[in-house]
Amino acid sequence: MKENIIEFEKFEWQYGNNANFKILINDLKIKKGSFIGVIGPTGAGKTSFCYSIMGVIPHLQTGEMKGSVRIGGVETKNSSLSMLSRKVGLILQNPLSQMSGAGLNVEEEIAFGLENLGYPRSEMEKKIKEIIKLFELKEHAHRSPFELSGGQQQKVAIASVLVLEPDIIVLDEPTGYLDPLSTEIIFNLVKKLNKKGKTIIFVSHKFEYLNKLCDEILLMNEGSIVKKGSPEEIFTNIPLLKKNYLGIPEITSLFNRLKKAGKWNKEFTASVEKAEKYLKEEFPWMR
Amino acid sequence: MDEIIKVKNLEFSYSLEGTKVLKGISFSINKGEIVGIIGQNGSGKTTLVKHFNGLLKPIKGDVIINGKNTKEEEISELSKTTGYIFQNPDDQIFNNSILKEVSFGPKNLKFTKKRIKELVEKALKLTGLSAVKNKQPYDLPYNKRKLIAIASIISMDGEIIIFDEPTTGQDYLNREIVINIIKELKKKGKTIIVISHDMEFIAKICERAIVLKEGRILLDDSVQKVFMNKKVLESTKLKPPQITRLAQKFKRIYDGTLTVEEFFNQMYK
Ligand SMILES: Nc1ncnc2c1ncn2[C@@H]1O[C@H](COP(=O)(O)OP(=O)(O)OP(=O)(O)O)[C@@H](O)[C@H]1O
Ligand SMILES: [Mg+2]
Repeated sequence: MKENIIEFEKFEWQYGNNANFKILINDLKIKKGSFIGVIGPTGAGKTSFCYSIMGVIPHLQTGEMKGSVRIGGVETKNSSLSMLSRKVGLILQNPLSQMSGAGLNVEEEIAFGLENLGYPRSEMEKKIKEIIKLFELKEHAHRSPFELSGGQQQKVAIASVLVLEPDIIVLDEPTGYLDPLSTEIIFNLVKKLNKKGKTIIFVSHKFEYLNKLCDEILLMNEGSIVKKGSPEEIFTNIPLLKKNYLGIPEITSLFNRLKKAGKWNKEFTASVEKAEKYLKEEFPWMR
Repeated sequence: MDEIIKVKNLEFSYSLEGTKVLKGISFSINKGEIVGIIGQNGSGKTTLVKHFNGLLKPIKGDVIINGKNTKEEEISELSKTTGYIFQNPDDQIFNNSILKEVSFGPKNLKFTKKRIKELVEKALKLTGLSAVKNKQPYDLPYNKRKLIAIASIISMDGEIIIFDEPTTGQDYLNREIVINIIKELKKKGKTIIVISHDMEFIAKICERAIVLKEGRILLDDSVQKVFMNKKVLESTKLKPPQITRLAQKFKRIYDGTLTVEEFFNQMYK
C-alpha cells in the first residue's frame, strides 16, 4: 500500500471577509502517485482546495481554520510556505498573476524557482532548455512575458512550476488559454511526471482529458467534495452532473439520447474511442 | 450584401525589426455574420482583431470598418462601431465598481442618460451581474471578471462585437451565459467575431470559421467544412468537438455532424 501524501481531516476554512462561503472537507486521503481530477461549478471551492494544499490557506489568506491538512505527514499550519513550496507546486488560472514580477525575460522567469531552490548551474540550464523546447517557446526565450500572446504567457507560467518537478503538482484550470496542441503537451507532460511518481491534483473543465488520464475524480460543490469516483462513473452520470451545474460530455449525451429512444440499455461511456467500439458492436450496420 | 469589415493584404509586426505577425491577410465579413477565428497560440488571432477597433494599425494593407479606413480614424471614433472584449479581463477593467465599469463606455460615447441606463441595465442582466453591480470588480473571481469585461463592451451597443476567448476557465453555467449573450446580440443583427480554442463552443454558435496559422489564413469556410478538412486539422492540431470526431469514425454518419441530435437523426431517420 502506498502512503497518503495529502490528508484532510475535519478541515474547515472560512475567509475572514466572506461569511457566505465555507470549505469543509471532513476526511480525504490522497495516495502518493495518484492523478486526481477536480471538477465543480464556479464558487465550488476548487481554488480554495488548491490553496489549502499549497499552504496559501492558512498562511497567506485571512480567515479561520479548523482541523488539519497534512502534506507528507506535516501539518500545513505548523509548516511555512517556503517549506511547503519545496514539496508542492501550484499553477494558477491567470498566468500573469503567477509571474515573479521581477521584470525577467521568459528564460529567467523559468529559472527563477530553480535558482531559489539552489540547483547547480549546469543542471539548471539543461532543464530550462528542455522545457522551453517542449513548450515551443524557443523563439521567445529572451522576450518579456508581457509581450507574449495569452497562450504563450500561460505556457511560461506552467513551465516555471513544472520545471521544478515538485512531489505534488496542483494545477488550477491552467489550460484555458491554450490551443489544443499545447493543451495536449501539458496534459502529457503532467502524465509523464505522474508516472515518475509525482502526485497530481488537476482542476479542469476539460473533461475529455480528465477522463483519459485521471485515476479518480473529485466533484466539488458548495465548499465540499460531494462525490468521489472513477472518471467514467462521474462523466456518464447525467443527474449528478446536472445537479452540480456541470456540462454533459457530448458522448454521454448521445448514449442518453439512444437510451431515451429505447435503442440502448447497456452502460454509457464518455469517451470517443469507447463509443466507437460500443456502437460498432451494437449496430454493425453503422460501420 | 452589406460588407461591414474588409481586410486587404494586411501586414503587421509589433516592432520595426521584429518578424511579421500578420503576413498578408484578406477577407471580408458581412453585417450580421457570426465568425469564429481559430488557430494555435501565437498565430495572430488577437493581433488581427485588435485592428478592427484601431488598437493596432496596419503596417501594410488596409482595414475598412463600415466603409472607413482605420488608418484615417481615431480609436474613439472606431470604438463606436467596434467593441473588443479583451482576452484577459484584467487588461481591460479599471473602474472601482462594476456599475462604473459598465457605464464608462456608453457615458464616454455621450449617449443620453436614458439610453445609458437602459444599455447598462440590459448588459448587467445578460451577464447575470445585476445583483453585484455595486461591488468592486476585483472582489469577484477571475471568471466573473470576464463577464464584467463583456458587460462593459456590450453596453456600448456597437455594431461589431469581438469576443477574445470568452469561455476560458468558465464552467457550464457561465458558458451558457456567454452563449446566450451571443444569441441575443445576433437577434439584434450585430456582427460577431469570436476567438476561441473551444471547438464545441465554436460549433454551437458560429456559421463560418477562419483558421489562422503563423499570420496567414489557412482556411475560411463553414464550420462543418473546416472540421472536415483533415489536412488543415492536422497542420493546426485543431480537434473538432467529440461528437464530430465520433461521426468521422462512421461511414454512415456525415463527417460534418455538429450536434448529438444531428448524429442521432442520421441513425434513426
Ligand atoms: N505586445 C506585443 N509585443 C510584441 N509581440 C507581441 C505582442 N503581443 C503579441 N506578440 C506576438 O505576436 C504573435 C501573435 O500574437 P497574438 O496575441 O496575436 O496571438 P494569438 O493567436 O491571439 O495567440 P493566443 O491563442 O495565445 O492568444 C506572437 O508570436 C506573440 O508573441
Ligand atoms: Mg490571443
